Amino acid sequence: MSSGNAIKKVLVIDDNPTIVELIKYAVKLQGSYQVVVAYDGVQGLERVFAEQPDCVIIDVKMPRMDGYQLVRCLRGDARTADIPLIILSAMTREEDQMTGLLSGADEYLTKPFKPTALNAAIERVLRLTPAERQHRTDTLVQTQSERD
Amino acid sequence: MLRRLHILFIDNDTTTRERMHQALSKDFTLQCVASLSEAKRYLSSSQPDIVISEVVVGQENGLEFCEYVRSIPSLRHIPIMLLTSMATLQDKVAGFSAGSDDYVVKPFDAHHLAARIRLLSRIKRLERRTNN
Repeated sequence: MSSGNAIKKVLVIDDNPTIVELIKYAVKLQGSYQVVVAYDGVQGLERVFAEQPDCVIIDVKMPRMDGYQLVRCLRGDARTADIPLIILSAMTREEDQMTGLLSGADEYLTKPFKPTALNAAIERVLRLTPAERQHRTDTLVQTQSERD
Repeated sequence: MLRRLHILFIDNDTTTRERMHQALSKDFTLQCVASLSEAKRYLSSSQPDIVISEVVVGQENGLEFCEYVRSIPSLRHIPIMLLTSMATLQDKVAGFSAGSDDYVVKPFDAHHLAARIRLLSRIKRLERRTNN
């Protein structure tokens, strides 16, 4: 991951090239991010280790490894557990959003998206500290497990 | 008060089983076994809330065990977490392909692991509710 005031690197993982271009356009509107891309979950996982991005934007419905699995995979390895993760998906049900957050995503946004909303989400997750992320997880455990 | 989930944990390494016991037995009901054949015997008479397994269990293969659990109608709904030293990208992809729901690389932090177990259990309950 880049440090300090260096240009932040955002990895976009989505199997739809048109959506990828839209996200790239939206993120670049903000002007201060380098964008790299992958077109399925496995390629995305490879690129996380190769590129060490500052933030990852992940679709859910993808071949080989879906977005939920990818998020869990990243959170389950100390080398990638604290990377800011945003799910950006066409799946809009409350259960979909909850599955994304329970899997470990920091934010869950739905398509179609507004560039301003996506950039605001990126800025929010980039500010999250590991301690804040753990606190959010603990809160989810308390509030969601009580529903079991 | 969080529900006391019932975990079947499979690892042939004694130290890891002891560490899991220390980490989780206060808040979870933990059944530790050292082989996949023991795990299959256990599952023939018990239904844990979650199965956690190493990938390499002595000479046995945890991925084949995932496939076994997914092939049995009465067991296939049980969440499976692989907790393993196998940490390459190919290992992780193979784990999910075999039917695992989560993949955690050792060494593990006890607090972090306990949270993931509860969240995975909740995710699978949500999935079952959505699919029914």
